[in-house]
Amino acid sequence: MTLKNIGFLVTIVGMLFVVLTGCEDDEYSLPQPKNEFQNDCIKRTIGPNLVGNRIEFAYAMALPPDLGALASAQVEASIPGAANTRFDNLAYYTAGNGADVGIEVASPSSTEGNFTNVTFTRDTFATTLRYYYVIPEEARGQSVSFTFSAKDSNGKTVKYDMGPYEISNMDMALDRAVNGTAMYISVADMAVYDAAQAATMPDKIDVVYLYRSIGGKNFNHALVAPAADPVYLPGVTLPAGVDNNTKIIETLNLRDQHLARLQYGVYVDEVDFRNLNLSTASNFAINLKAESGAWVETEDGKYRAYIYVNSVNANGSAVISMKRLTMF
Amino acid sequence: MKKYFKISLIVALVLVLSTRCSDDLPIDEDGLLITRRSECYVSSFELLGTDFQTVRTKAAAIDTTAQTINVEVAFGTDLKNLYPQFTLVTDAKLDPKITGKVDFSDLANPKQYTVISGNRKVRKTYTVYITVQP
Repeated sequence: MTLKNIGFLVTIVGMLFVVLTGCEDDEYSLPQPKNEFQNDCIKRTIGPNLVGNRIEFAYAMALPPDLGALASAQVEASIPGAANTRFDNLAYYTAGNGADVGIEVASPSSTEGNFTNVTFTRDTFATTLRYYYVIPEEARGQSVSFTFSAKDSNGKTVKYDMGPYEISNMDMALDRAVNGTAMYISVADMAVYDAAQAATMPDKIDVVYLYRSIGGKNFNHALVAPAADPVYLPGVTLPAGVDNNTKIIETLNLRDQHLARLQYGVYVDEVDFRNLNLSTASNFAINLKAESGAWVETEDGKYRAYIYVNSVNANGSAVISMKRLTMF
Repeated sequence: MKKYFKISLIVALVLVLSTRCSDDLPIDEDGLLITRRSECYVSSFELLGTDFQTVRTKAAAIDTTAQTINVEVAFGTDLKNLYPQFTLVTDAKLDPKITGKVDFSDLANPKQYTVISGNRKVRKTYTVYITVQP
């Protein structure tokens, strides 16, 4: 055998070795569970955190059954929650039809100041409780964080930190009925007024709702600034002094989850209002359909709002919802 | 023999490299292919409002001889915030480019758009006349 052939043979053997050893399976071993008291937490709500809305968490806690049972759970919020901040005392499972079914595992929770407590009444070593934090006015523009903790029957505790979460500066008003009478919309008050009420606060009236069925034109449901061209306010006699020139941009298919409460996971957030370019905006939006909306800026520039049309009625009424940001 | 093989290999490589980089498919300043087509016209025209729905009341009338587009928009159209959409003949492009909302509110001075043919040698300027439904 020549030297060249030996070299060739060595190379082949080397390659075979690599191929054979390279394909060897690593031995799999089942992960060993930790034999101790543990906890975990997820935030269930998504989207901006608005004052008055709630943030929902699911807090899970468990320990090996031979080490004892769950005794109590507690949450400390950095800012005390508003009324109805609570631990759900039910543990849920999902039924065959997809519905959540609750089983009572604890006594109703008590909330005092920053702390919400719950005591287990059922002998259980593993459960998940839901915690609802109702965002208080004091938290506006601030961030809030949470410390979840649980105690077992031996007095051992575990804890889990969540947050911080930014609380939005935005406000929201839901399901305001507008019609031929209640047609004067105030963004400043986030309310709808009739002509007599509007006459007492003309500088607060930013948008006029009207419905007109005009042959050959698609007018229908409209949101119009009081100062708009009168052709867009046919048959409307504005109360004295109602003359704000509000900027309006019509939009469609922006079904904010907070306002629409439909299946779409879309949220209008502060950044959308801040980045909104209204330099070329008009002051009217006609032929609005259900699930459409309009971006609005008040004449003084103080408020920017998104008015969403929840539903329209051919008899000349509609239901609107509004999200608003105070710009200064 | 071996030497010839090497030389021919190098020559072939050089040939491949030099022909790969040749400029037989010219592109214009926008990186678009310049072709041999000289056709130059608008085949359809659309106008969308801020809600991205059409604002036309009927199909736009495109006169490729007079190079005009006449379009009637619905009553209450926000003329300052419209998105025009041109459909052009194959390989042609539009100047100026449409990058967002266009203000069509100055009806006395209608907007003009130039169609440039695929070979970039024919330019035709179309004028867009807008009338609002009375």
